[in-house]
Amino acid sequence: MRAIKTVAVNVFRESVRDRVPYNLVLFAILLIASSFLLGQLTAGQDVKIIKDLGLAATSIFGLFIAIFIGIGLVSKEVERRSIYALLAKPVSRPQFIAGKYAGLVLTLAVNVAVMTCALYLILGYMSWTESAAFKATWDAPGADPAILKALLLIFVELMLVTALALFFSTFSTPILSAVLTLGFYVAGHFNADLKNFDRIVESKPAVWLARGLYHVLPDFSAFDVKTQVVHGLPVPGWYLLTTVTYGLTYIAGLLLIATFIFARRDFK
Amino acid sequence: MTASRRDWLVLSLGMMALIAAIGLQVDRDRRFPRSAQESDQVLYVRSGAALKRLTLGFNGIAADVYWIRALQHYGGDRLIKIPGAVRYQLLYPLLDITTTLDPHFNIAYRFGAIFLSEGYPGGPGRPDRAIELLRKGLVAMPHKWQYYHDIGFVYYWHLRDYKASAEWFQRAEAQPGAPSWLKPLAATMLVQGQDRASARLLWEQIARSEEEWLRKSATRALLQLDVLDQIDQVNAAIRRVPLSPGERYSWEMLARRGLLRGIPADPTGVLFVLDPDTGRVTVSRDSTLYPLPDEPKRLQ
Amino acid sequence: MSPAIRIEELTKDYAVGFWRKRPYRALDRLTLDIEQGEVFGFLGPNGAGKTTTLKLLMQLIFPTSGRAEILGRPVGDLAVRHRIGYLPENPSFYDYLTAEELLHYFGQLFGLSAADRRTRVASLLDRVGIGAERRLQLRKFSKGMIQRVGIAQALLNDPEVVFLDEPMSGLDPLGRRDVRALILELRDQGRTVFFSSHILSDAESLCRRVAVVAGGRLAATGKLTDILTVQVRGWELVVSNLTPELLARVMPRVRRATEISHGRYNLDLALDTPPDRLLSDLTAAGASLVSLNPLHDTLEDYFLQRVAEAGAGARAPQAEEGAHAGY
Repeated sequence: MRAIKTVAVNVFRESVRDRVPYNLVLFAILLIASSFLLGQLTAGQDVKIIKDLGLAATSIFGLFIAIFIGIGLVSKEVERRSIYALLAKPVSRPQFIAGKYAGLVLTLAVNVAVMTCALYLILGYMSWTESAAFKATWDAPGADPAILKALLLIFVELMLVTALALFFSTFSTPILSAVLTLGFYVAGHFNADLKNFDRIVESKPAVWLARGLYHVLPDFSAFDVKTQVVHGLPVPGWYLLTTVTYGLTYIAGLLLIATFIFARRDFK
Repeated sequence: MTASRRDWLVLSLGMMALIAAIGLQVDRDRRFPRSAQESDQVLYVRSGAALKRLTLGFNGIAADVYWIRALQHYGGDRLIKIPGAVRYQLLYPLLDITTTLDPHFNIAYRFGAIFLSEGYPGGPGRPDRAIELLRKGLVAMPHKWQYYHDIGFVYYWHLRDYKASAEWFQRAEAQPGAPSWLKPLAATMLVQGQDRASARLLWEQIARSEEEWLRKSATRALLQLDVLDQIDQVNAAIRRVPLSPGERYSWEMLARRGLLRGIPADPTGVLFVLDPDTGRVTVSRDSTLYPLPDEPKRLQ
Repeated sequence: MSPAIRIEELTKDYAVGFWRKRPYRALDRLTLDIEQGEVFGFLGPNGAGKTTTLKLLMQLIFPTSGRAEILGRPVGDLAVRHRIGYLPENPSFYDYLTAEELLHYFGQLFGLSAADRRTRVASLLDRVGIGAERRLQLRKFSKGMIQRVGIAQALLNDPEVVFLDEPMSGLDPLGRRDVRALILELRDQGRTVFFSSHILSDAESLCRRVAVVAGGRLAATGKLTDILTVQVRGWELVVSNLTPELLARVMPRVRRATEISHGRYNLDLALDTPPDRLLSDLTAAGASLVSLNPLHDTLEDYFLQRVAEAGAGARAPQAEEGAHAGY
């Protein structure tokens, strides 16, 4: 446990030294600037747009961090040979993988938490300055607690992307890992289309293949409840629970297989 | 435990976790069906022009996605068995977005027009929208004779405007690379548009098309024309059978009278349906050829 | 007392080639015992299998066959890592950390308390000669400084057995002297040092015993002098104040004479010419001694010769078995 924690804290420190927190500044500027501009331009929809923007930016910034740091977690250590000295210390390879993963998840958690606070601050300010009559036209309240549901699923989704990136980087090159992770992310977002493939194709093997892919690919589209939350549509607690459990189980599977591959690897 | 055995244990645990994840996914899909969430998302962006900007340089792939969505929407709504359900309301917007994102998306114009003009419940029955879509295609590709031909076809088959149809066939014929059979077709259309033989001629030309899907629908239409001929023959035969009082039409009765040897079937092998009161024969609802194109009464 | 390191029939094959993989034997049935408290030199030319052996001992790679133990425990045992230190060949660390932070990080992995870490890190960095630079990120460090940090991290946990892969590489002469002193210090504290090198003089001044590997095979083990004395070819004598007349007088006993500067000559003596006699004659005639060195075969010559022998051994497996047992 101590080894995992130590490795994780070092990953966090690396991401801070690699200037990852700058994305938070960018995020804040994006939100503040757009809330100011939208106030001048649109009528009534600015809170919705800020929510859309905030959630999309949280997701996309997090995605970049998860992929580009995630693929380097293991491969960079191997490439720069810093892993040689590390693995001669009392750190097992499974502990190394777990620590690396936990470290990036910690980075992402801090990142998403700061973004959440920034988003609520802006939304709170916007609701506070608007008249009650104007607020009545909104689909959902300004600083709506339901946004946390979308953010929770975004965070679990980012954890899943990280696990995927780490998984690929245990056996392929960083570039290939990035391509594969991004590919799976995109494919996973078109998952619903795969599920309904039987509506457009009659060939049984093709339908089976699509069905198989639907189940095997990580089901990223399930984590996207941004639209529902922004429009004030209900997102049932059961849906959150099953989707989060699904995500965590899938992550566990990926990390265990990554550990298996990594544990048997030679560092030539 | 040896290192190697521990590794294999880790691998099998990982596999088990992935299988468990699939189980959770199936369970969630059962509680919260996917298709219910779908339609909101498709409606989210309706402007093709806006989407073109949103997709940056990736218009082509985005067009592919919307084309697949259009196919899914069309195919999915065809399967709805609830009478009176609102269907196909997104078909035109989806095709419009597809062709705005990629104005040279040939199959989206041609097959999209067939989707749109198909009569309810097989399609939305909007030949006007079909012509609109094809005209949009002509803006992007003004010399595509196929689009003129397809518009002419929609006028002929769905709108029964033989004059307009002939005009469009003539325009098609004037385009570079247009096949020679378009000229007699235009002429036939003006003289004897109402003839089933000219319909057959038209479909036979389409059946030679290079697009597999167009060929498929032409094959189906030709089969439907065969069925119409068949039904005409059977009906003519039945009409000659006088009905005794209290008697109703049935295949057994017709067989007893030596009129038919068995129950006639359409070319797909599905048995025809006989109305016991009127003695009229129609194609079964279970047949893939249902519904048959309706023809003006005086033609039969 | 069980040996500090026991290596039995350790073999490593790599698959090489992109399309049709064929095995390449990087290490072939290496068998070695290293006693506790000894400084053991693991010598061989580049590509001989030294680093492969060290990586096998650190479980960075896994053997095709054979086994190895450190301090009586199999190498995979995590507990044994608390008692060993390892300096990789051309080490590389996290360039976003300072030297101090790196050692604290590794110290945490060893479970050292914060107070222990502070004293230990400070004294080690002093010992390897990293001064105020310890607060700089490692990306600003030269190769030699990284090597020093690498040595410091290998000693962080006060290890009983230290593995050093080419510890002198990247160091200037001053640094080499420091490392030599450090290794002798470790020996005096009763620790076992297992180091690899392709430079003979490193071993000569440090080791009681060495092993020589070439082409993935053990060529010889034993006392360095036993292995190498026969290879002394002659002597190199440098004298000053040598007059031409004197030179002409001793010339029959000299293989070759080269003038370095006025009056200063480099004299090449054959092995059968006792240098002490000649030297006393010269100094009696007014010349003065600058230096006297035995002329060895270079280690590379020795390796080449051993590789040839190992090749012959491969054709006759029985003879080779004998060589393995011969220490």
